[in-house]
Amino acid sequence: MIELEHVSKSFGPVEAVKDLSLSILRGELFCFLGPNGAGKTTTIKLLCGLLRPTSGQIRLAGLDLQRRLAATRPLIGYIPDSPFLYERLTPSEFFAFIGDLYRIPRDRVLAERESAFRLFGLNDYAHCLIKDLSHGFRQRVIYAVTFLHEPKVLFVDEPFVGLDPFSIRLIRDLLRRKAREGMTIFFTTHILALAEHLADRIGIIADGRLVALGTLNELKTQSSVQGQLEDIFLFLTQPDPPVFQ
Amino acid sequence: MNPLQALFCKDRQVFLNLRRLAREQSRFKILFVLAFGLGLLAGLWGLFYSGFHSLSAMGGIGVLIIRHLFALFYFGLGLMLILSNIITAYTTLYRSEEIPFLLLRPVSHGEIILHKLAETALISSWAFFCIIIPFIGAFAMHERLSFWFILWTLLLSAPFVVLCSELGMLITLLAVRWIPRFRPMLWAGAFLLAAAVWAYIQFRPVIRLESNDISFLLSRLVPGIRLTSFPFWPSWWVAEGILSLARDQWVRGLLFCGVLTANVLVVGLALKHIGQACFFTGWLKTQTSPRRDRSRHGLLDRFERRFSFLAPDCRALIFKDLRLLVRDPVQWTQGFLFFGLLGLYFFNLRNLHYDLLSPVWLNLIAFLNMFSLSAIMCSFCSRFVYPQLSLEGQGFWLLGLSPMSMGRVLAIKFALALIIMLVISLMLMAVSAAMLKVAWSVQLTGLMIAAATSAALCGLATGLGAVFLNLKQRNPMAIVSGFGGTLNLALSLGYMIAAILPFGLLYHAFTMDQLSEQALRRGWILAALWLLVITAVTTITPLAAGRKSLLAREY
Repeated sequence: MIELEHVSKSFGPVEAVKDLSLSILRGELFCFLGPNGAGKTTTIKLLCGLLRPTSGQIRLAGLDLQRRLAATRPLIGYIPDSPFLYERLTPSEFFAFIGDLYRIPRDRVLAERESAFRLFGLNDYAHCLIKDLSHGFRQRVIYAVTFLHEPKVLFVDEPFVGLDPFSIRLIRDLLRRKAREGMTIFFTTHILALAEHLADRIGIIADGRLVALGTLNELKTQSSVQGQLEDIFLFLTQPDPPVFQ
Repeated sequence: MNPLQALFCKDRQVFLNLRRLAREQSRFKILFVLAFGLGLLAGLWGLFYSGFHSLSAMGGIGVLIIRHLFALFYFGLGLMLILSNIITAYTTLYRSEEIPFLLLRPVSHGEIILHKLAETALISSWAFFCIIIPFIGAFAMHERLSFWFILWTLLLSAPFVVLCSELGMLITLLAVRWIPRFRPMLWAGAFLLAAAVWAYIQFRPVIRLESNDISFLLSRLVPGIRLTSFPFWPSWWVAEGILSLARDQWVRGLLFCGVLTANVLVVGLALKHIGQACFFTGWLKTQTSPRRDRSRHGLLDRFERRFSFLAPDCRALIFKDLRLLVRDPVQWTQGFLFFGLLGLYFFNLRNLHYDLLSPVWLNLIAFLNMFSLSAIMCSFCSRFVYPQLSLEGQGFWLLGLSPMSMGRVLAIKFALALIIMLVISLMLMAVSAAMLKVAWSVQLTGLMIAAATSAALCGLATGLGAVFLNLKQRNPMAIVSGFGGTLNLALSLGYMIAAILPFGLLYHAFTMDQLSEQALRRGWILAALWLLVITAVTTITPLAAGRKSLLAREY
């Protein structure tokens, strides 16, 4: 579903992503880990088409992202760490607006809104202006609208930042259910325990270079560190990390 | 519903929700804004009406000037609209957080451009209509035209506004896409452009006109009339269209309306296609700016070393503020525009031959310049000085926990604002006085008023900014638009009138021979004492209140 071939991205003299090759299957929950400034958000932006690679090729659902950018739009859902929301709309109006943008029939939008708002506990806030909502409820709004057009691939940058335990459980279960239904999910997080618990496969990036890739057990074998993900992560992302193929 | 319709529906909904937001605003603010807006409209209307009256009193030449004045007026406003649209379009297209959101949706780049065109046209045109409505109203009243004439002219002005917005956005799109980001190339381009302008001014062909050429004579009376009466300018079409409608020449009026509309559609189509082709590449260019290495010592670092005589905490706070300002071009370009346009006008006073006017007019213009400079200082202080403490934001605890006292923080903020304001205002006032060649006593008065106004406005804005501290808000515009910001603007404007008016009235009476020189001297001393008292009160009282409020505050 997601394929990267020798992708690099430079910002002037700084190479943020270096020769990244990766293939992620349909229905896979893929976690991308790395220290601050390692290139995680740049990679997500490259995958969404918000940045162009300096070299290499990206394909989403078999479509070349650079040549068929418009065709990939309905396939993608993206939730950044601090998402943009129209502050002067209510969650209900925002939901209807996204439905119109994706040309989803109004009756389906209404039905989806009812179930999504029930799921995310937004019914009491449906007609408040978004600017008056707390961070947690704003995150719930963005999750509710992102699933409306049923994207095939979902990119989530730091899905659990600033959420209460109830919301974390809600989103964790939702991501797992969506992946089971066939959605490919690519997410980044710094909460390693959650990554360990949630991800099918994990990729670790350090200084723009992919230093490890595989299931938790494969990472243990690759790094020869027998412990938790945290131990493997710290070992691999130390300065001058060993590179495993 | 296509995506463009969905975007406009969303805008409509946001507009409807403004009612809800209006209910959250303070009543004082709404009343103040309404009263100020209506007062401004009435003042402009009076000014334009007396202008038309004076021109028609001149007889034939006056009537001819009125005809050309429309073209001149629309030409000037059109240029300002284009400039304003360039700035607004850059912000809405390349700096808005909405753009990446829209780029990830099934909305074409052409549709994004058209949607943003409507937004920029709306943002940048309200001031245009605030000037046009009293101008047209005064003309209609002077010519005894019907109410419908005003509506017709507004209808003709609307496509003109859209055309200027389209041109502004087109320039922005092409500039962002094609201006090289490699600094030496940029400097080389700027140098070539400056050289071309210089060469044109030096070697332009001199058109020899017969002395009986009517447009030559008019251009001697009102500079710029020849240029703006060129029949291919859209501003000339609007002007001619309005005048045709005023004379009941409906076919000619509608013809100009049609020409304007056709041009709007053609340029709009071109904009959509150019936007489709080059917007995204330009946007990517602005998002992928290389991280600048700031390890080398810049101008501010060298400057900071020269201020080693200042206490370290004081120096740290001052240079932190200066660095933040310099590294945020959106902020300093706004500040530059505030005074840049006024400076441009002051430097051109001789080109407009204002220095050759009679002493009465010269004096009037000198004091109007003082008013305009002070009014811009009021806006500048409200926009930049008032929110500076609130913009410390959630990091305010850093200052709160530091060994620096809150009184000291306040004093440093005030001093920095005052120094910047003094440099700008004294320089501009000196330029205005020198260009007009006014008497030394008027020059001295102007400089004194500029210095006093700087102190009072900075004291007021810093003090009230501390009293109405808002650490939750990160948007300076939102901080400014609160109760405290409105109160600051209202008091600043009140101070401005109280400070300048006594001197203005004294000198006006003197130039009109209604006051002797001795009476002027006595009146001047009284006005200076009055200025001293109101300046001291306006500076010290809010600063003391601000200090008290900061000391009593819990963070």
